[in-house]
Amino acid sequence: MAATGNKNINAKLVLLGDPGAGKSSLVLRFVKGQFVEFQESTIGAAFFSQTLAVNDATVKFEIWDTAGQERYHSLAPMYYRGAAAAIIVYDITNQASFDRAKKWVQELQAQGNPNMVMALAGNKADLLDDRKVAAEEAQVYAQENGLFFMETSAKTATNVNDIFYEIAKRLPRVQPAQNPSGMVLTDRPAERAASATCCS
Amino acid sequence: MSSSDSSSSSSASASDDPNPKLKPQPLESQFQSSVTLDGSDEASVSASVAEQRQQQGEDSGNGSIGGVVNVENNGHRDGSHREEIIALGVTADEDGGVVWRRANSEVEAPASPSSSGYAGERGSSGASSSSGAGEGSEEDEIEEVGNDDGDADGALDSQAEWTPGKRHVDEDDASMSWRKRKKHFFILSNSGKPIYSRYGDEHKLAGFSATLQAIISFVENGGDRVKYVKAGMHQVVFLVKGPIYLVCISCIEEPYESLVGHLELLYGQMILILTKSLNRCFEKNPKFDMTPLLGGTDVVFSALIHSFSWNPAAFLHAYTCLPLPYATRQAVAAVLQDVADSGVLFAILMCKHRVVSLVGAQKASLHPDDMLLLGNFVMSSESFRTSESFSPICLPRYNPMAFLHAYVHYFDADTYLILLTTRPDAFYHLKDCRIRLETVLLKSNVLSEVQRSMVDGGMRVEDLSVDLPQHTGSTSRADDKALERTRESALVGLGGPAGLWHFLYRSVYLDQYVSSEFSSPISTHRQQKRLYRAYQKLYVSMHNKGVGPHKTQFRRDENYVLLCWVTPDFELYAAFDPLADKALAIKTCNKVCQWVKDVENEIFLLGASPFSW
Repeated sequence: MAATGNKNINAKLVLLGDPGAGKSSLVLRFVKGQFVEFQESTIGAAFFSQTLAVNDATVKFEIWDTAGQERYHSLAPMYYRGAAAAIIVYDITNQASFDRAKKWVQELQAQGNPNMVMALAGNKADLLDDRKVAAEEAQVYAQENGLFFMETSAKTATNVNDIFYEIAKRLPRVQPAQNPSGMVLTDRPAERAASATCCS
Repeated sequence: MSSSDSSSSSSASASDDPNPKLKPQPLESQFQSSVTLDGSDEASVSASVAEQRQQQGEDSGNGSIGGVVNVENNGHRDGSHREEIIALGVTADEDGGVVWRRANSEVEAPASPSSSGYAGERGSSGASSSSGAGEGSEEDEIEEVGNDDGDADGALDSQAEWTPGKRHVDEDDASMSWRKRKKHFFILSNSGKPIYSRYGDEHKLAGFSATLQAIISFVENGGDRVKYVKAGMHQVVFLVKGPIYLVCISCIEEPYESLVGHLELLYGQMILILTKSLNRCFEKNPKFDMTPLLGGTDVVFSALIHSFSWNPAAFLHAYTCLPLPYATRQAVAAVLQDVADSGVLFAILMCKHRVVSLVGAQKASLHPDDMLLLGNFVMSSESFRTSESFSPICLPRYNPMAFLHAYVHYFDADTYLILLTTRPDAFYHLKDCRIRLETVLLKSNVLSEVQRSMVDGGMRVEDLSVDLPQHTGSTSRADDKALERTRESALVGLGGPAGLWHFLYRSVYLDQYVSSEFSSPISTHRQQKRLYRAYQKLYVSMHNKGVGPHKTQFRRDENYVLLCWVTPDFELYAAFDPLADKALAIKTCNKVCQWVKDVENEIFLLGASPFSW
């Protein structure tokens, strides 16, 4: 796959963040071009795929839109393990969601794939009047932690395609021989299931 | 009020029906052999009983609080299920304080080891006085609602379109509108922390939850368990599940057994989302706040509670199938079987709340209650419709401690596939299974057949052949008259023959039921809800262990004639025009049973592994 010319890249991408930050809205805007004002909570994780053409390659994203709810946190490793990219989403009108986003970054730095492309998305950028998290603050944080940062709005579509495009550009071009079907969800055996309870 | 004429025959021997599956013994023979009271005498007797009952209701309704608490004695040794009725006189003072009086202390059986518990409890004044103080406010409210007849949200009840999700979040126990709601459901922890409330914001209901907790622990301290409290129009039903308390407060006349059944399902729904290991959270920290863990699941619970007013599966403990040609369902089963053989625990194709087909791995069986909860969970969560999803879920009747992983995919707006596996890493495998399955279903036009069946609907009472035997000697004048009316009504589209309006048929072995479509006499949402409640009540009366195994019941009131027939193989619940002729109604029920037998290939999923444990 890693031949020169027009490469096909399969990339597993995971979205993480607080409930209501707008993970599903970002994905639905990117994949289906849709937006609904009252997006229902995601249950477990929803799977999408979308193909993007960048200059030198075709990137097929396999997107895991995870549920932000606390009861699903123990499942997150199942989704970010082996992921080539992650978008950590927070809501610019909610300081707590930004704090939570930082925790996700820490967890990914500790547990995730070291070559993972990480993006920080400050969503709901259309709600300027209610802004609680300054763009500069997030920008500084992102720089310090080796992420790239964008403010997005799933509602107005601002920067939504751009953030995925940027990720596609940053993905390592010479990929390690990745399982083409993206089969690797977890490398630990099924014991994980037994401990994957609500509060463990 | 209602003059009801009811007769029931209880016969212990099941040998009445040697082979009823193939050839149900005519229902009339059952009535002939039983003592049936029919006609005006019976009606007047029951009327007077009803009057009495009504009077009692009024007495307790406008007295300050004349309550009856039904307490189950845990300390009883002989293992037999024993209930004690203890009348509690609760008098509210002007300042809101409440004094609990035990009026009937002699019911404490001398042999019962827990009798000392009662006495000891009285001694621990700290606990009882604190719970009493909380009690005041709660009982005051119920009284207020009782005075209002609780009819305030009639408008809401009559709305045909049900909007999912939680309503009236702005309310709390101080709002009049909240107090007037007819049916409340609460989940709380044993430390009194609110977990879920049907109406209002849980956090604002902390005080109210603490009150409920106080009532439960007050009785628990005495080594007993409070089952329900009756206060005027209201029934407060309690269910304790380890650290989780569930409470229903209803002013709709529904049997205690039904309300407990609802609470059991509500608990099951919570287990489906979190597993029973949530108990560990409470072991670690008794003051644990569970609301964040259930974040975003309000819709699931409210949809379940809504189903308590329309879905017969909630009280029949059976599931229903989408009517389909036998060959079609077999074809689906074959594809699902392939999937199951590849290491999937359960493969289920559903259309709304109806099963198209389902297959389980060897020896694995799915309880109908789990199916109800699973279907409710998937259908109420909008998120499943947007793409394919993978979510941990727990089947409380299968294994309440462990999560399974569910792959969910909608083929169209109503038809969805659920694949359940124990392997958390099986997503891509299940996705492949789904793609293969979809190809087959599309090729064989199954999905369009499913859609067509949805539109066509199920069995219609109007389609029941009207060729009722006219040549029965025993019935004469009334029979003919009724038959005439039957023909007329069939012409103007007023239900089926002999005034048959609706029926429910439950196959005991299959754990499946079939319900007729609603005919025009019960076309409105309100009428359907009322019939649902009547069935529910009938079900309870037929399964009440205390009264004995009834086999048939004929009940007439101002709304319907209800006829119920229970055999070891099936249960039939039928509703007729209130003026329907009894003999004809019985004949019609036999017809219905025969009809169901004739089409069982199409309305039931046959050959599925038995669902018994």
